Amino acid sequence: MKRSIIKLDNVWKIYRMGHVEVNALQGLNLDIKEGEFVALMGPSGSGKSTAVNMIGCLDVPTKGKVFLEQHDISKLSESELAQIRGRKIGFIFQQFNLVPTLAAIENVMLPMIFQGIPEEARLKKAKELLELVELEDRMRHRPSELSGGQQQRVAIARSLANNPEVILADEPTGNLDSKTGANVLDFLDKLHSEEKKTIIMVTHDANLAKAAERTEFLKDGKIVRTSNNRRSG
Amino acid sequence: MNIYEIKYAFQNLRKRKLRSGLTILSILIGITAIFALLSFGIGIQRYVDTLADEAGRDKLFIQGKGIGAPGTDENFFLAKEDVDFVSKIKGVNEILGMYFKVVEVKFNDQKRFLFVSGTDTSKIGFMEESFSIKVIKGRKLKEVDSDKVALGYNFQFPDKVFRKTVRLGDKIELNGNRYEAVGFYEEVGNPQDDTNLYLTDKSFEALFPDSKDKFGFVILSSQKEVKPSELAERIEEKLRKFKNEEKGKETFFVQTFEDALATFTTIINVINGMLVLIALVSLVVAFVNIMNTMYTSIIERTKEIGVMKAIGAKNSDILIIFVVEAGLIGLIGGLLGVLLGYIISSIGGNIAAASGFALLKPAYPLFLIVGCLIFSFLVGAAAGYLPARRASKLKPVDALRYE
Repeated sequence: MKRSIIKLDNVWKIYRMGHVEVNALQGLNLDIKEGEFVALMGPSGSGKSTAVNMIGCLDVPTKGKVFLEQHDISKLSESELAQIRGRKIGFIFQQFNLVPTLAAIENVMLPMIFQGIPEEARLKKAKELLELVELEDRMRHRPSELSGGQQQRVAIARSLANNPEVILADEPTGNLDSKTGANVLDFLDKLHSEEKKTIIMVTHDANLAKAAERTEFLKDGKIVRTSNNRRSG
Repeated sequence: MNIYEIKYAFQNLRKRKLRSGLTILSILIGITAIFALLSFGIGIQRYVDTLADEAGRDKLFIQGKGIGAPGTDENFFLAKEDVDFVSKIKGVNEILGMYFKVVEVKFNDQKRFLFVSGTDTSKIGFMEESFSIKVIKGRKLKEVDSDKVALGYNFQFPDKVFRKTVRLGDKIELNGNRYEAVGFYEEVGNPQDDTNLYLTDKSFEALFPDSKDKFGFVILSSQKEVKPSELAERIEEKLRKFKNEEKGKETFFVQTFEDALATFTTIINVINGMLVLIALVSLVVAFVNIMNTMYTSIIERTKEIGVMKAIGAKNSDILIIFVVEAGLIGLIGGLLGVLLGYIISSIGGNIAAASGFALLKPAYPLFLIVGCLIFSFLVGAAAGYLPARRASKLKPVDALRYE
C-alpha cells in the first residue's frame, strides 16, 4: 500500500455571502497516494476550485481535516501554509500566471528565493529545469515574448523548482490550442512516469482526464464517482 | 534585503515608467531643496568656523549701541577715554579703537558712498589679524601715509566698485581730498568689507576733524589665561560704572568674536531651518504620492501577489518586496534630488560670489549626501509600508481569483 500524500477527510467549506451561506464543499473525501496521477473533473459550481484550494493548501477548511503527508494542516497560519506550499506543492495554473516583469529564468527561480536557496544554486537548478522543458534558448525572455505553450512550460519548470512531491495543475491546457495542450500534457505525463511526481490535474475535458490513472468526479461539493483508467494497476 | 527584491522592484518601476517618474519627481523636488539649502547652511557654518579660527578666539569688540553698521550713526561711539580706561582693565592684552564713517568717494568722475576706516598704524597688524585679512597687492599703510589709502578687494576689478579698475598709484578723492592707492586687501566675501577704504588714524582725523577720538569700533584681545567671555562681562560692568550708565541702558555693548559669529550663525541657521521645514512639507506631499502609487500598484498586481503566495511567499516576503520598491522610488528621487541640488547650489554659489558674497559658498560633505540618500529611501519605505502591509495580508485564494 502506497503512502497517502494528500488526504481530505470530510472537508466542508462554507462561504458566507451576505446573509446566504454557500456550501462549496460538503464533506469531501479524497485520498491521493504518492506517485499517483489523478484527474479531478466536475461541472462549474461543483466545488472544483474550492477543492483545488484545499488540496493546494491555499485555504483551510471550515470543517474537516486536510492532511499533507499525514500532517494536519487545517489549523496552520497563512505564513506556515506558504512555506509548506513552497516546498511540497508545485502549481500550474490555467492562465500560466508568470510574473510579467521577470524573465523566464527569474520566474523559475522565484519559488527558490522564497525558500532562501542561495543564488548560485537556484540559478543552476533553474537552468536545468528550463532545459527539461526544452526552453534553454528562451531563458532571458519575458513572458510577453513567449507563446502560450512556452509560458506554460516555464510554469511547469517553476512548479518543479523546489522539487515538490505534488504537482497541482489547474486546467493546465485550458488556454492552449489542442496541439500545444497535448505537448504540455506530455510533459506532465513525463513528470509522472520519469520523475515519479504525484500529479493532480483539474480538468473539464474527459479526453485529457484519460491521461490520468484515476479520475474523480466532483458534484455538489463531494466526490460522486471514481473511475480507474487504462493505465492504472 | 535581497538582490532579487531590488531587481524585481526596479523592473516594476521600469514597467510603469510614467507613473514611477511622476512619483520620483515629487520626492526629487523636496530632496533638491533640502540638499541645496543644507549645503549652503553647512558652507556658511564652515566659513564662520574658519573665520573664528583665523581671527582668533581671544578677540572681543566693543561697539556703540546704534542702528546699522558702525560709522553710519553719529551718536554712537566710544570715546578715547573709554578706550584708555578699558585698556587698563585686567585681562586685556591689546586694544585698538577704529574710526568708521561713510564717505563720498570719487574716482574718474564716478561717485559712490562707501565705508572708510581709520586705524592707528602701529596696530594695523592687530587689525588685520582680527579681521583675518592681508594685503595681497602693494603694501599696508605706514604712519607717514597721510595722503595714502589702502583698498578693499573689489576695487581691483572693473564694474565692481567703479567702472574702471583702480591700480596702485591711482588717485582717489574722499570728500574732495586726494589719496593715492598703495595696497589692496584680500577678499572677505561680502560686498561691504570688500569695498572698504583704509586710512591711517591721522588722515582720518584730518578728513573728519569732528570725529576725533570718537571710535565706531573697538577691537581687543584677551590675555592667554583669561576667558574672553568672562573678560567681556568684566569690561561691560566696569565700563558701565565708568560711564555712569544704568544696567540695561548702556550705550555700548561688548561681545567676543566667537559670540558674534555664533549669533550670526544662529540667525543663518534659523532662516535655513525654516526653509528646510518648508521643503519638508513638500516631502510630506511626496510621501502621500508614493503611498498612492503603491496602493494603485498593489491593486494592479493583486493576482501577481496571489501567485507569489501560492508558490511560497510568506506575508513578510510580500511586505519586504513592496517596502523595498517604495524605498527605491524614494532613493532614486533622492539620488536625482542630490544631483539637481548640487547643480543648483553650485550655480547659486557662483552667482553669490559674482555679486560679492563669496562667503555664501555651499559645502558638500559626505554625510550630507549619504544622509539625503538614506532619508529619501526611508521616506519612500515608510510611505510604502501601509500599502505593502495590505498586500501582504491578501488571502492567496482571493488574490489569485482577482482579474
